[in-house]
Amino acid sequence: MKHRLLQLFFWCFLSGSALAQTAPSRFALQATVTDTLGAKLNGATVMLQTVTDSTLTNYGRSAETGAFVLKGIKRGSYILKITYVGMMPLTKNVSFEQEATVDLGTIKLKPIAKELYEVVVRTARAPLTIRGDTVEYDTRAFKVPPGSSVEDLLRKLPGVIVDREGNIRAQGQEVKKVLVDGKQFFSDDPKTATKNLQAEAISKVQVFSDKTEKAKLTGVDDGTKEKTMNLELKEEFKKGGFGKITGGAGPASNLSARAEVRGNYNKFNKTQQFSVIGLANNTNQTGLSWADYQDFRGSNSFNWNDNADFGFGGGFMYFGGGDEESLTIPISGGDRGNGLSDNQAAGVNYNFDTKKTKISSSYYFSQTKLRSETQSEENNFFPTGTLNTRSASNQINRNSTHRISFRIEKELDSLNKIVFVNNSRFATANALLFSNRDIRRILSATSTPTTSNTTNNNSTSQSFGTNNSIIYRMNFKKKGRSFAASIGYQLNANDATLNINAENRFYEALDLNDQFRLIRQRQATNSNVAQYKASLQYVEPLSKKVFWESFYNFNLRNDAVDRDVLDTRTDQLLRVDTLSRYYTNNYTYNRLGTGFRYTNKGLNIGVGGAVQRFTLNGQYAFDQTLPVRQTIDRVFTTFIPNVSLNFDMKNNKFMYGGYNLRVQIPSSRDLQPLVDNSNPLFISRGNPDLLPALTHGVNLGFQYFNPGSFTNYYGGVSYGSITNQIVYAQTIDPRTLVRTSVPVNVSGGNNFSFYSNVSFPLKKTKATLDLGGNINAGRTLTPINGELNQTNTTNYNINTRLSLTPADWFTFYGNAEIGIGNAKYSISTAEDAQTISNNYSADANVKLPGGIFVSSTFNYLLYRNQRFGFERNLPIWNAAVYRLVGKAKKMEVRLSAFDLLNRNVNVSQYAGPTAVFNSSTRTLARYFMFSMTYNMRGVKASIRKGGWDD
Amino acid sequence: MLRYTLLFFICCATLLAHAQNTEGVALYSRKTDYAKLLTKLTYLSQEQKDRYANTWKNDEDWSEKMKLVFTPTASLYSFASESGESPDGKYTWRNKDLFFYREYDKEQVVDVEEMLGKTYVVEDTLRLPKWKIGNQVREILGHMCLVATTFDPVKQHNIKAWFAQDIPVPAGPEKYAGLPGLILELDVDEGIIILEATNVSFKPVAADLKVPKTKKAKKVDEKGYAALIKNHIAEQMKEQQNPYWTIRY
Repeated sequence: MKHRLLQLFFWCFLSGSALAQTAPSRFALQATVTDTLGAKLNGATVMLQTVTDSTLTNYGRSAETGAFVLKGIKRGSYILKITYVGMMPLTKNVSFEQEATVDLGTIKLKPIAKELYEVVVRTARAPLTIRGDTVEYDTRAFKVPPGSSVEDLLRKLPGVIVDREGNIRAQGQEVKKVLVDGKQFFSDDPKTATKNLQAEAISKVQVFSDKTEKAKLTGVDDGTKEKTMNLELKEEFKKGGFGKITGGAGPASNLSARAEVRGNYNKFNKTQQFSVIGLANNTNQTGLSWADYQDFRGSNSFNWNDNADFGFGGGFMYFGGGDEESLTIPISGGDRGNGLSDNQAAGVNYNFDTKKTKISSSYYFSQTKLRSETQSEENNFFPTGTLNTRSASNQINRNSTHRISFRIEKELDSLNKIVFVNNSRFATANALLFSNRDIRRILSATSTPTTSNTTNNNSTSQSFGTNNSIIYRMNFKKKGRSFAASIGYQLNANDATLNINAENRFYEALDLNDQFRLIRQRQATNSNVAQYKASLQYVEPLSKKVFWESFYNFNLRNDAVDRDVLDTRTDQLLRVDTLSRYYTNNYTYNRLGTGFRYTNKGLNIGVGGAVQRFTLNGQYAFDQTLPVRQTIDRVFTTFIPNVSLNFDMKNNKFMYGGYNLRVQIPSSRDLQPLVDNSNPLFISRGNPDLLPALTHGVNLGFQYFNPGSFTNYYGGVSYGSITNQIVYAQTIDPRTLVRTSVPVNVSGGNNFSFYSNVSFPLKKTKATLDLGGNINAGRTLTPINGELNQTNTTNYNINTRLSLTPADWFTFYGNAEIGIGNAKYSISTAEDAQTISNNYSADANVKLPGGIFVSSTFNYLLYRNQRFGFERNLPIWNAAVYRLVGKAKKMEVRLSAFDLLNRNVNVSQYAGPTAVFNSSTRTLARYFMFSMTYNMRGVKASIRKGGWDD
Repeated sequence: MLRYTLLFFICCATLLAHAQNTEGVALYSRKTDYAKLLTKLTYLSQEQKDRYANTWKNDEDWSEKMKLVFTPTASLYSFASESGESPDGKYTWRNKDLFFYREYDKEQVVDVEEMLGKTYVVEDTLRLPKWKIGNQVREILGHMCLVATTFDPVKQHNIKAWFAQDIPVPAGPEKYAGLPGLILELDVDEGIIILEATNVSFKPVAADLKVPKTKKAKKVDEKGYAALIKNHIAEQMKEQQNPYWTIRY
């Protein structure tokens, strides 16, 4: 029935066009599609393409009778293509000139050889090109390890079999000939090419049947064909190298000439990357920029999921105030450091990345010599009155550090993965310090100092640190179920010697012997801190929207510190028992937690809790040889709640918030029962009784972004209430004015912050205005001479930025930032202080004809503290002119001037819990530099700012 | 001319409908290769592009799940669900409004797309791309597919589609359609976006072919939409920001 209808349907069309005209403008094409045995093919795809560019113009399908008809064809030449599942696609040229209907009669499609279809098309999910008898493999789809031969590649091709001797069979037949780019490769033996050529050099492999050599020679086609393989060579396989080098030098005011050189080179192909980097300068550039770091570390710049401490983020203990230098490569960004520094650094990095295995290793050496000349003034409050300390110091710090890193990530199978990470550092450092201090009582009748000190210290140290972790992650067939386990080992060893040479004068001392005190000591400190960690985590999906997550963390830390202090005033080198110490501390942390996570349509909520137990067992004595040691035993258990929320709303609105309890473990320095008298007028002591500080924190934030109008807003608030806050209790000797600081736990402190920022265009792409502000307020309770002082600080910060980008040749950026800090002291309201730190800047960039660029930045920094009568106004003006050289723009020539007005100095000031402070340190001021850059990838000159890695 | 043959083809397909599979749902994974995408940002230097490619080369491509409901005469393309989720399912986010509806017999288009801070509705007549058919074949989900290529003049993208010769419907993902078979894989601009069918199931779906009503939608025609996109790309490039954070690549 359907058959008849269809025929009728076709006939209607056919007769319609047949009756039309003798010179038709529209043509029809008809034929019947069968297989080689004559069976009608139903549903074969019939397509008509233009000869010129293969554009599809008409298409249809064959009916049950195998017949098809295409109508409405324009005059011209076409390619007819007929495809059918399991058949070789057929192409045929057809022209439409005279006859209104072209009838091609019966078209027979050849079946695709079973081997080819089943093996090649089915198993190779990768594309194959079939043209007539030729099957073409695209080698990009068949991955082989680097260095593999063509033979290895052929083994990967479906439908191709390579036996042990290297003989090749394709689609069931032996391959007699192997051509390279259509030509015979050296010898008749097909194996010559396949064994000797590199797989990487091949872009395509084609297999087809060719006439025998005999048939070609005689010209008599006997019908026998032999399988032939052609290897097409790649133009160039993906690899590359890039690098750049910058060097410059110039004069400086009141200093020797300044110079800098920096370079890096990077060579990579698909799986490997090798890079080197180096820098040397006396222009305060201590570390790498982010861009340099990314070029150096490549695919290993950032590794997520290397955190071996599972559980609530940030909720697990963290160590505050570590003095150790980072184990990883320091990044200074564009920041110019304090003081005056000479820096050198060099490194090599190698990465190997495949889908299954990722390896990265690096070595980085850096050294710095930093000179600081600082003048500072500090007011300290005591119930008995305020002290004013003025000091001047001259310091030289030298350090050199070797860092190595190694990381391997191995995918065991699609569900299991293991990661090993090592970061290690070996450093040597030495320091020289010369300083003078005078202490006065404010409001006393005399303005002469009551105490003064001259210090001349030197120190050397060697330290080694290493951090190793193994993380194993396992996923299950059930989506969302996962298990992870990790172990870690950390070691920090430090061997330091400090020679103290201090003269102290106490003008108010009654006893003559007390008026002058000389301290000469050698303090040798050897410390070893080892940490062993283990963590487990299990996640079970309870439904599509609810997950249950449980974790356990274990951490054991062993500290062993041996400190010997000798009095070097005489040749006898007597041991100073009050300062010498030997102690061992064992800290154990255990945390067990569980929580639920709900997720649905962009609303994500997590609620959970954990129990954390902290045990401290320590013992200490004046010397390790002493049998009697004092002991410390403490156990501290806390319940840690955790709530987190974020919500993704329509039109780019986003809200987030949470409640958590943060646990801050005291730093080892704060816990050590050691006395630091390197500044004899300010003694600090550790406190082994310290407990972890707990902060109950809530936060809420909101973001909005309108990409249509380029407007965005973000803002939020947070509040924290602190139990057992670690604060530094101060005591003062009323006669000598020597202060002592000891860390203690005090509850009742809090902090609050609010931030808000909006950015919108005044005129799209031409002018943008940013407005932002934040308020930080806090309360800190600090015992001073046994009396609890409450300090309330409130800091306001307002900033605004105007970006003008009116033309391709001119940009201007104006900034204003106003910072006001207020501090109120309960025990000394007269000392309530206000600090002001403002920064105004203007930055203009111009592109001149002739490819010359000019940029100029003017910064005006203002620091004020009326209590001290302190005021610093620093106008800093930098300018540069540069030009790209050459057609390829690979080179840049630049003339820069830094601090043209020669006013630069590092200023810092604050009004803290027990003191108001300010200092000025000499730093790099006016200098000029002529520099040249060569960049293999081309230098980019942009007058626009704000790039993500500039 | 293609339109007429399409009509004819639809007639045939309808006649063959009960014999063949021409109605159902195709699911796709849509992957974005960001390192490649960044090479299209005119304001980045070659050095920055290389840096990005090297830094992030081990990162998994961003993947989204999409859905195409098709019959021989119409199709509706949208996100597979209202929200996207992380691979482990533990985290979800809201998916923007996105519905591309096509009626091949009536030559109608209704597109609902949330972008640039608004929801736009494009109602216009159907204009199909000019396809070129190549010689490559490939099997996807058990269907023998042929290759076809075209060019998107608005976003300046090279498009490569693999269509199943045994699913005779002209539908396809995103805004690409008009081939002699269902598009099972789409490669936008040399691999920046790869849409791969993960599952095709055949069942009656005519009832699901409805564009949801959207409130406060802004109406534009095809031309207006193209102008909007072109203008946004140009503006963002000038601002040195990636336009494709906020519009579909």
